[in-house]
Amino acid sequence: MNPAIETHDLQKAYRTLMRRKPVPALQGVSLRVEPGTIFGLIGQNGAGKTTLVKILLGLSRPTSGSARLLGGSPGDSASRRRIGYLPEQMRIPEYMKAKSFLHYMGRLNGVNSNTMKQRVPELLEKVGLAGVNKPVKSYSKGMQQRLGLAQALLNDPEVLFLDEPTDGLDPLGRKDVRDLLVSLRAVGKTVFLNSHLLSEIEMVCDHIVILNRGQVACAATPAEFTRGTGEYLVRVAVATDAVRAAAAEVLGASNGNGVRGNASNTTKAGWTENTLRFAPRDREQLNALIDRLRSAQAEIDSVEPVRLSLEQFFLQVVGAQE
Amino acid sequence: MLAAYFNSLHEAVNRRMALVLAGVAVLVAGTFWWIVQLKPLPDGTSMIFLGTNFLGPATLAVPSVFGAEIQQTGVLWLLLAIFAAAPLLTSALEKGWIELTLSKGTSRWKIFLGRFLGGVTLYFVTFLLATFPVALRLWWKTGVGPGPLAIALLIQTLSFAALLSVVALATLPQKGMALPVMAAVAVWFFSPSLARRQQSYYSFFTSHVSRGILEWIYRILPKCSELESMCFAYIRDGKIATWWPFWSTGIFAAAMLGLSLCLLQRKSF
Repeated sequence: MNPAIETHDLQKAYRTLMRRKPVPALQGVSLRVEPGTIFGLIGQNGAGKTTLVKILLGLSRPTSGSARLLGGSPGDSASRRRIGYLPEQMRIPEYMKAKSFLHYMGRLNGVNSNTMKQRVPELLEKVGLAGVNKPVKSYSKGMQQRLGLAQALLNDPEVLFLDEPTDGLDPLGRKDVRDLLVSLRAVGKTVFLNSHLLSEIEMVCDHIVILNRGQVACAATPAEFTRGTGEYLVRVAVATDAVRAAAAEVLGASNGNGVRGNASNTTKAGWTENTLRFAPRDREQLNALIDRLRSAQAEIDSVEPVRLSLEQFFLQVVGAQE
Repeated sequence: MLAAYFNSLHEAVNRRMALVLAGVAVLVAGTFWWIVQLKPLPDGTSMIFLGTNFLGPATLAVPSVFGAEIQQTGVLWLLLAIFAAAPLLTSALEKGWIELTLSKGTSRWKIFLGRFLGGVTLYFVTFLLATFPVALRLWWKTGVGPGPLAIALLIQTLSFAALLSVVALATLPQKGMALPVMAAVAVWFFSPSLARRQQSYYSFFTSHVSRGILEWIYRILPKCSELESMCFAYIRDGKIATWWPFWSTGIFAAAMLGLSLCLLQRKSF
């Protein structure tokens, strides 16, 4: 199947009057977004995310390399009619009202008037702006964002580019947007999501790329990003001395408050109040510990693997490259 | 392109620019209506007065009234309309809005050209509103048609289009409308002195090379001053001696607009 979006060795450098050397914004970005998926792009400020999106939309030209959007060039009007875009810093003329704005956006995208008569009220209902008949200047940030989302969906796009779509929305609004993205994926639409809210990316995306200093620092699925660390947390009701001694017996030598295994037993373990965090050699050692704790009359509340959040992983990746 | 064209007119109305121009146009038309007086004679003809000035019998005086309208409002309208129409072009390139419009399936040049034509329409319609009511009244009362005035309006509109094309080009490399408006007003301001360059500048530019440069500047830039003279000549005599200022201004406007659209197509946002 042809990818919805594909870039190959994309480079972009900005030239300014003040600097002799061009400032690199993208350095050899190659990526592939499959149709019917939600793709997340994350990175620090100035990592090149917006530049990449602008190139994919034909708003900016790459210095070198190539980009394909739905099999065509991003600069091609026919390709752009099949996409929707919500920019991060959207500015709608203040005098416009929701309907006139959507009608204008629709006309620019070649949506015929009959379709618009049907789609505009539907979308306004969908984004919670039905019945709002006042100029955009009186809209809150959240309302403007909802209107922006409606215009991005107006032409029933095959690919949707969203730059910080939940910016300015309340928690309920954010959930609505997440649900919307999932429903779009369910009907085969492709979503290219650019957000600082890593928890959101983690929740909805199928593939994630971390962009750092204009380069792809890491690309994987959320499961790969948030894989286990190999450590476990064992929570007991009360960590008595007997319980701590039992744990030390299985894991290695006791150092009083915590347990510290030698090199041949475990790498690291420690108690924090009633929670033991440790990295077992293998599953057998984990089960042996639980058996020993139970025999020491410990009441175990939970045993869970320690996973990295996307944020922790992101900080690791970006921190390692700084 | 039509969507951008109608949107620019919608914007002109909603941002009050069109309303202010229309208001001034009504004021101008009302003033002319009031000062142009017709005195019917027993033989069925009419004598025309402009205020207290006797202009003569209708067939001779109507062209004078048209000439006075163009003379009194032409310059005012060029400047007012430049201030009113320039935001239609500069606002199209505002950050946050341009990303929305240019990411749609309409070519950049069509959007920009649509807005340019919206600006020209704003000028033409309001200028028509300022000058035509009196012309229609005179036509009704004297039978002398407003054809020459209509031609004069079209010639003046070309003059405006040339100035607006300067605005279009100056809008692209920077933000805001101060520089584009200043550039257009400067072109208009130097137009009369360039038309009389021998008298205006030859005493300062004595070398053959500098005078040659001056000649080329004159040839290239729009000839607003001469176009205005053309209007008077056409209204008065019904014919135009030379169309050179018209064609050269048209070529200037087309070239500047073409260059603007070309640069816009290539520009990264």
